[in-house]
Amino acid sequence: MEDVLDEVVSSEDLQKFEKVFHEQLHQGKVTHKAQFEYAWCLVRSRYPTDIRKGILLLKELFNSHPDGKRDYLFYLAIGNARIKEYNKALHYVKAFLEIEPANQQVLALERQINKRMEKEGLIGMAVAGGAVLALGGLVGLGIALASKK
Amino acid sequence: MSRCDFKIVLLGSEHVGKTSLVLRFVNCRFNGGTPYQNTIGAAFCAKTMQSNGKDFNIGIWDTAGSERYEAMTRMYYRGAHAAIVCYEPSSLESWARLRHWLQELRTVEEECKVYLCGTKKDLLDAGAVTREVPEDIVATYSQGHRGHFLTSSKTGENVDELFQKIVDDCAADMRLMKNVEELRLQLMKDEAIYKSKRKDFCSC
Ligand SMILES: Nc1nc2c(ncn2[C@@H]2O[C@H](COP(=O)(O)OP(=O)(O)O)[C@@H](O)[C@H]2O)c(=O)[nH]1
Ligand SMILES: [Mg+2]
Repeated sequence: MEDVLDEVVSSEDLQKFEKVFHEQLHQGKVTHKAQFEYAWCLVRSRYPTDIRKGILLLKELFNSHPDGKRDYLFYLAIGNARIKEYNKALHYVKAFLEIEPANQQVLALERQINKRMEKEGLIGMAVAGGAVLALGGLVGLGIALASKK
Repeated sequence: MSRCDFKIVLLGSEHVGKTSLVLRFVNCRFNGGTPYQNTIGAAFCAKTMQSNGKDFNIGIWDTAGSERYEAMTRMYYRGAHAAIVCYEPSSLESWARLRHWLQELRTVEEECKVYLCGTKKDLLDAGAVTREVPEDIVATYSQGHRGHFLTSSKTGENVDELFQKIVDDCAADMRLMKNVEELRLQLMKDEAIYKSKRKDFCSC
């Protein structure tokens, strides 16, 4: 079934929010709102380079705007899961659950991430933290290459 | 992309009970004990339903409702076949938000079937809150739309009825059904192509 990790942004939407963000960037003042909306589109892009850009923007927001922490953590987890950085994604999930242990959306996301890791044969290796991160990167790269063919 | 036949979106201000409505409908339960969890962005749920003996996959997008998320909410109601716009009968403020969404839907998504939903009926029935939104006003507004339901996610009253009405209305819509059939066919074709491609890749 379709889930939150499969959802893809339309290119019109991505462009629309990209435009707003860049206009503000030119004027030298980017609002949290514009940055978040753009990042939120980026992490839902089908292209890993976009997703990575979105993750950077979200990290920056996370460090500069405590009010939106919940949102930023959630979409950091989604972005990382979408580029198959599952361990990082789970790290953000845990950070979120420390604040709100019973959050249904985040618990569902955690289940989805675990399901994907299982499907891709990554479960069981989670304990070997670093190794999985490296492997996650490789898998992501492999898929990016495969889809270019 | 979407494997859903019908897309339903929930709109309405924060705290009116959109998430509870979806959870009651999909999981048949109500989380009264846990502290309020403001929905982040939008949450997706799916369920299979029947209308006239036929199966339909319905996808439900539950939106956050805060004005902070307004730009995103628009992305979720785009292309929706039906919208449930929620308000709390005890809150005039939530009614004002409902009118805002009705107006937007009318101009942006003319094709979308709109349902009004007054929430937390159990609280009204028990006298725990007082009605602020007059019933005759609700009736007037409902006339231009597909229906009005007064629901309780706590007791489950009218929840299935609301979703069943939506699915029946969608299934009875010839134009929509033609699209659904075409989409199902396209999806089957895509899957066949995808599978044959996968074979080329596999070296074993
Ligand atoms: N008594 C009662 N409380 C409800 C009902 N629906 C929702 N609530 C409560 O209202 C609050 C907000 O509900 P929620 O579904 O999260 O609202 P949302 O922000 O619109 O998604 C929560 O504390 C729920 O427990 C209902 O039908 N009856
Ligand atoms: Mg909610």
